[in-house]
Amino acid sequence: MIAFENLEVRYAATSAPALKGLTLSLDRGIVGLLGPNGAGKSTLLKTLLGLLAPSMGSGTVLGVALDAAESAKLRARIGYMPEYDALIEDASAYEQVAFWGELSGLAPEAARDRAHEVLYFVGLDESRYRPVSGYSTGMRQRVKLAQALVHSPELIFLDEPTNGLDPDGRRRMLDLVLRVHAELGTGVILASHLLGDVERVADQLVILDQGQIKAAGSMAGLRKALAKRVELRFLDPLDAAQEAALSELGAVLEARNGLYDLELTEADPRGAFRWAEGQGATLVQVTPRHDRLDEVLLRALHPQTGA
Amino acid sequence: MPIYAPTLPPAPDLHLGQPPVLVLMRFDFTRLWRQKIGRFFGFAFLMLLLWKVARIYVDHLLHTNEAFKPMQDFAKTILTQGADFQADLLNPASYLLWFLVALVGGGLVARDTLYRVRPLMYAHPVAPKDYLLAKLGFASLLPFTILLPFAILPWLMSLLLAGFHGPVWATAPLRLLPAMAIASALMGSLAVGASSMAATPRAGIGWVLGLVLGASTLASMIHGLTGIAAVDALNPIMLAEAWPQLFVGVERPMVAWLPAFLGTALHIALWTFVAAKRTRPSEAVI
Repeated sequence: MIAFENLEVRYAATSAPALKGLTLSLDRGIVGLLGPNGAGKSTLLKTLLGLLAPSMGSGTVLGVALDAAESAKLRARIGYMPEYDALIEDASAYEQVAFWGELSGLAPEAARDRAHEVLYFVGLDESRYRPVSGYSTGMRQRVKLAQALVHSPELIFLDEPTNGLDPDGRRRMLDLVLRVHAELGTGVILASHLLGDVERVADQLVILDQGQIKAAGSMAGLRKALAKRVELRFLDPLDAAQEAALSELGAVLEARNGLYDLELTEADPRGAFRWAEGQGATLVQVTPRHDRLDEVLLRALHPQTGA
Repeated sequence: MPIYAPTLPPAPDLHLGQPPVLVLMRFDFTRLWRQKIGRFFGFAFLMLLLWKVARIYVDHLLHTNEAFKPMQDFAKTILTQGADFQADLLNPASYLLWFLVALVGGGLVARDTLYRVRPLMYAHPVAPKDYLLAKLGFASLLPFTILLPFAILPWLMSLLLAGFHGPVWATAPLRLLPAMAIASALMGSLAVGASSMAATPRAGIGWVLGLVLGASTLASMIHGLTGIAAVDALNPIMLAEAWPQLFVGVERPMVAWLPAFLGTALHIALWTFVAAKRTRPSEAVI
């Protein structure tokens, strides 16, 4: 779906790179794009949309090279739902979704038909004829999603799709995102600060910071690679010398009643058994402490300090 | 509780659509239609058009009806004649037309800025030049469309009443249409340039009026101080009125050919440049 090789993007020839050395390959699916403010998420989306040309390296989106000549063709195959309210306030949802459909290349009549279908798909029925200035936040977000879907793109970029939604509206929006991928086969790039949203829908994750990729891959793989936190249970309590030697395995986070929470130096916890054998201790249980996504993110951003 | 459709039908063909420039212009027209500001202007311009057409009939009567013979000389002293009359056909109400262009054109780009839809347009297969061309095209077509009946209807009336020897020259449309096109392009580019500098449609109206009246005042002041008449070419109102005069060959046009050409080129280039800069994709903050 998306592939980069040593991609570098600058806003001006003399400015510092906003993205540097990005090498990445993503399969079709739902990709969560995470990172703090200024990490380069928006720059990456602009580059993927063909609004910014790479200053170095190469990349393809849906098999189309990222260069100015091909960018218009590429944008016809991509849908974009912006974070902010990019709605035409004096027009109804139906009018503006049809308008965006026409801008994407649909014939006027087809765009009008499609606007009805896609607004129905996102759950806006009779209200689609009202000016959007009277819509609730949830309805506005659905109109934005509808305009991104009206031309049946192969890939959509969703920038903070659940912004300002109540828990029920958030659940409905995420359900729609899942349906878009599952029923329409559309690839999704979901940029969000709400880690719970990403955790719920994404099957791949890219963590950006300071214009560089800090971690990328499948959610499960990423968790596994980063999950070095384990709980060790020994048959007998360790003596003082053994406890002191535990630091050979990694940082001891907590010790209580024969249980030790460790941040292992190596990802493979089997080394703990070898260590116990060498120390004459009996290790009876190693429990991986499955990290929450915020811990994964923090660890990727600050590897030297851990989560 | 919203009712969700089971799923979306298959994708329609994306290759049958109209060019983005046309889609954008049509959408702006729909917006204008919804604003309903055309009622006042429609009435005002219709009255002016009726006056122009009636004038042709009156002129015909003065020349053909013996009963009106005594009034002919008097009419010649109060009504424009010859080339001035031809040029005057396009001068229904210069300020009224500028005001309409400010009202409509002032919001053309500013409304997109206010609603933040321009970045979203650029996320579609719309190039910045498409956007600029659509806005300039719409803002220029509006005054051109309003002026068109003023060039055509009196000419048709004259042809019907008196053939090729009527008060309106048989070649008048050939002279007036290019003049209209230039004046409309001037109005359109100025309106779009001004609108691109505004953050709201109301501010856009202010920008257009400010630039038009400001440039006019500046030109008048410099003219008054230096005595150089060519400086009037900075005045967009005067330029728009001068082009029909130049094309029909009025004896004393408001602005001569060369200053008119340079002044118009300067305005169109400057305001198109401003609009292009203000609507470039780097302004499209996602």
